[in-house]
Amino acid sequence: MRASWLPEWARGLPWLPLLVLAAVGLCAAIGEDMFPFDPNQLDLSAAFRPPAWQEKGSLLNPLGADNLGRDILSRIMAGSRVSVIVCFYAILFSGGIGALAGMIAGYFGGIVDAVLMRLIEIQQSIPAIALALILAAALEPGLSTVVVVIVLTYWAWYARIIRGEIIALKGRDYIAFARVAGVGTATIFVRHLLPNIFNTLVVLATLQVGQVILFEASLSFLGLGIQQPDISWGLMLADARQYITNAWWAITMPGIAIMLTCLSANVFGDWLRDRLDPKLRQL
Amino acid sequence: MLELAGITKHYRTRNGVVRAVEDVSFTVPPKGTMALVGESGCGKTTIAKIILQLERPISGTVRFEGADIATMSRAALHAYRRQVAAVFQDPYSSLNPRLRVHRIIAEPILAHERPGRAALDKRIAEVLDIVGLPATAATLYPHEFSGGQRQRIAIARALALQPRLMVLDEPVSALDVSIRAQVLNLLQDIQAEFGLTYLIIAHDLALVEHFSSDVAVIYLGRVAESGPTEPVFANPRHPYTQALLAAVPLPDPDHVLSETAATGEIASALNPPSGCRFHPRCPHVFAPCPATVPPAYPAGAGHHVACHLLKDSPA
Amino acid sequence: MLLQVENLRMHLHLRRGVLQAVDGINLHVAEGETLGLVGESGSGKTLTGLSLLRLLPKGSGRIESGSIRLDGQELTTLPEAELARDIRGRRIAMIMQDPMTSLNPVFSIGDQVGGPLRNHDIARGTALRSAVVDVLKRVRIPSPEDRLGDYPHQFSGGQRQRIVAAMAIGCTPRLLVADEPTTALDVTIQVQIIALLRQIQHDQGVGIILITHDLGVAASLCRRIAVMYAGQIVETGPVRAIYRSPSHPYTQALLAAIPRLHSKRTRLAAIPGQPPSLIDPPSGCRFAARCPMRMDQCAAPPPTVDLGDGHSAACWKLAN
Ligand SMILES: Nc1ncnc2c1ncn2[C@@H]1O[C@H](COP(=O)(O)OP(=O)(O)OP(=O)(O)O)[C@@H](O)[C@H]1O
Ligand SMILES: Nc1ncnc2c1ncn2[C@@H]1O[C@H](COP(=O)(O)OP(=O)(O)OP(=O)(O)O)[C@@H](O)[C@H]1O
Ligand SMILES: [Mg+2]
Ligand SMILES: [Mg+2]
Repeated sequence: MRASWLPEWARGLPWLPLLVLAAVGLCAAIGEDMFPFDPNQLDLSAAFRPPAWQEKGSLLNPLGADNLGRDILSRIMAGSRVSVIVCFYAILFSGGIGALAGMIAGYFGGIVDAVLMRLIEIQQSIPAIALALILAAALEPGLSTVVVVIVLTYWAWYARIIRGEIIALKGRDYIAFARVAGVGTATIFVRHLLPNIFNTLVVLATLQVGQVILFEASLSFLGLGIQQPDISWGLMLADARQYITNAWWAITMPGIAIMLTCLSANVFGDWLRDRLDPKLRQL
Repeated sequence: MLELAGITKHYRTRNGVVRAVEDVSFTVPPKGTMALVGESGCGKTTIAKIILQLERPISGTVRFEGADIATMSRAALHAYRRQVAAVFQDPYSSLNPRLRVHRIIAEPILAHERPGRAALDKRIAEVLDIVGLPATAATLYPHEFSGGQRQRIAIARALALQPRLMVLDEPVSALDVSIRAQVLNLLQDIQAEFGLTYLIIAHDLALVEHFSSDVAVIYLGRVAESGPTEPVFANPRHPYTQALLAAVPLPDPDHVLSETAATGEIASALNPPSGCRFHPRCPHVFAPCPATVPPAYPAGAGHHVACHLLKDSPA
Repeated sequence: MLLQVENLRMHLHLRRGVLQAVDGINLHVAEGETLGLVGESGSGKTLTGLSLLRLLPKGSGRIESGSIRLDGQELTTLPEAELARDIRGRRIAMIMQDPMTSLNPVFSIGDQVGGPLRNHDIARGTALRSAVVDVLKRVRIPSPEDRLGDYPHQFSGGQRQRIVAAMAIGCTPRLLVADEPTTALDVTIQVQIIALLRQIQHDQGVGIILITHDLGVAASLCRRIAVMYAGQIVETGPVRAIYRSPSHPYTQALLAAIPRLHSKRTRLAAIPGQPPSLIDPPSGCRFAARCPMRMDQCAAPPPTVDLGDGHSAACWKLAN
């Protein structure tokens, strides 16, 4: 179905994923005061309360409550803030540093390229968890440590892929022409290279959303990431793991939140990529 | 105007050293059209890249109006780039798909000067007009044009700085037969109007004869024969030039193709034959050919032939 | 008549619309004759060749009407299985436009040249091996016995094109469709492939349809020429008639637009504009928009005018 009353640019928008992402963003933006429950409020009488549609469920805890009787919906809403913040900084810095390194290595080649490639290889040979342990020992566990660990783990992934793209782009005749015409290197980067790797960056960034959320979850699970009483989806998973047999919802609900967010980010990323390509725009 | 002396370029690859260009020298006369012809992989594009400073030769010099471009100061090099423009073979990869035509043509101008918005628009409309496109084309993206129109945009961009030398690397090979003539005529008109010097790379011999005033025939990175187009085509002296010309099927049903002018395959630039690189395929091969590289013997006004056969029978 | 194609229409049903790639084509090829199908890029030459084998683009290609008869046998209604067994690669072989994509890099050339022979049950075991050696000899691959186990990348471009030709002629087809067999090659190698095609025709008496945009190659190899423009054949006739007295304005313009070796340097006569889109092409003459002799009548489809001697052209000017 095509909504003809929509402006041209909005047709075919992936509404469902956008809605999910908007909801996550909204939850992260509004304060905890607006939530139906204080996410850290204990209510032992509600402990292990199942979701509302189940027997013994209650509309007071639509998605059920955890082992301490805390409202799961409220905790998911509160946890979105950590996910959004971690995603934002982790993607910004790992993408930014990785893309810059990849562009420089790919464009200039030679010794710069060789040094950067060795760095990437060294980085990729260190297990992320080992790196996290070292950093957690050196720094204080918490949100910023999580971001630093993720950036250190992922910049090489961006750099490697962007470097490949740049090497292919460098062979394009329009780059050759720009060099022949005496166009400065900075202009070539900004005008010719960046716009052409933008799609790749968007796709990599959306792919990374899921991985960052999972990474944060595992770090928090290991006690190296977000600390109580802060709330994160990963921490919720970790907390609920031991009650999986008697309170499946406590682990499933944050799991679904993670899955929906990752999936939405991927679908939206695909749409955005198609949208940004002027060749496809005509069809 | 442009003078190449002893240009040599090797590429190091995993399989060994590719001897792409070996000791190539020629001079492009002012306001003339110099053509480089030869079969695929003989090093034509590499020579163009060296002139355009996209590659550095391992030896030899390129002089533009007497000045060696390798030792130019930054400012002189910037000035050189203003006077030399290029049009490449592939009209699809030569225009950035993400930029509008306006921006594409403005790019070389903005690299050298800071005209006001109105002056810039006027310049762009002017060059678009020269290549026969409406001023409204400036607002469109490259994918909205056909191959021939894209090549016109590429020519407009090359003209934007009013260059004096234009390097044309196979400017029409990617175009349709019926569009080629449009672009060739356009290039000739522009040359006549602005007094440009052309260096054109092509493998279509009929086109070269039609279009150029001087020609260098290249085989596996070496110049086999060079000189003014007319004598070279009318009276080719190098067996390779002879083979090349005999191999062109003419659009004439009564023309009989010679099937024996050159036998065998082109050797690899990774491991070129010793002496004269053409000797394994040459019907006139004799003792000195595999042993020594033939020097360029003079064979009339400006006509040079690198073949041992000419040693005893010059001009 | 070896091949007789009447009013063949093959359209591509794309999301953008119906692309009339082959629109009402008439062709015939006699035994041992070479027909040149010339025209510029996108005029539908390759799709015409593929239509003869009913190798249509998957999903979109459809033969709308017309008939293709090989030795009197109708191919448009032949069941797919029979077509695959008796026709494709057996009685009609094709040399594809790009030699690199016709050869699979992971199989030895012995395997690949032997493939059609094996599939059509022509030879097996040692007979197969000697048949492969024999056909490679015929396309002049030096010492083929030693090279059966070699892979495509170990051969030069010209040799690869010979191997592709060997695959095509192995089953001694009646008709060979050669799609731009020399376009990717250098002139000195092109001559060798032209000679090879001549020899194949001479030795085996196969009919050849040579698809090319190079009027020189067509002139050197073909007895008759069909000139294609925007999915239609605008002029057809004996090679001399086409080159010496072209009658359709497009053929005339094409011949005037190419630079010729050893001729006076005159300005080339460029054809203005560009070919029409094959989706919703003009209903009348498709060349009209670029034609210097355009008249009001050209808005209607032009009649095919017989000029005698098998020479005909579709143009209103000739009808009057
Ligand atoms: N960057 C490179 N690295 C390694 N080898 C190269 C490189 N560029 C070109 N070559 C090789 O150098 C030789 C000359 O190449 P060049 O592109 O100059 O040929 P050409 O005459 O322009 O051919 P064509 O007509 O096919 O464009 C070829 O053998 C080619 O494979
Ligand atoms: N698989 C396909 N899907 C969609 N369109 C196609 C397909 N194959 C060909 N076409 C279109 O059909 C038309 C005719 O194509 P065809 O390949 O027959 O041209 P051609 O004359 O062989 O050109 P060339 O000389 O470039 O090979 C072109 O407009 C082409 O874009
Ligand atoms: Mg080249
Ligand atoms: Mg084709």
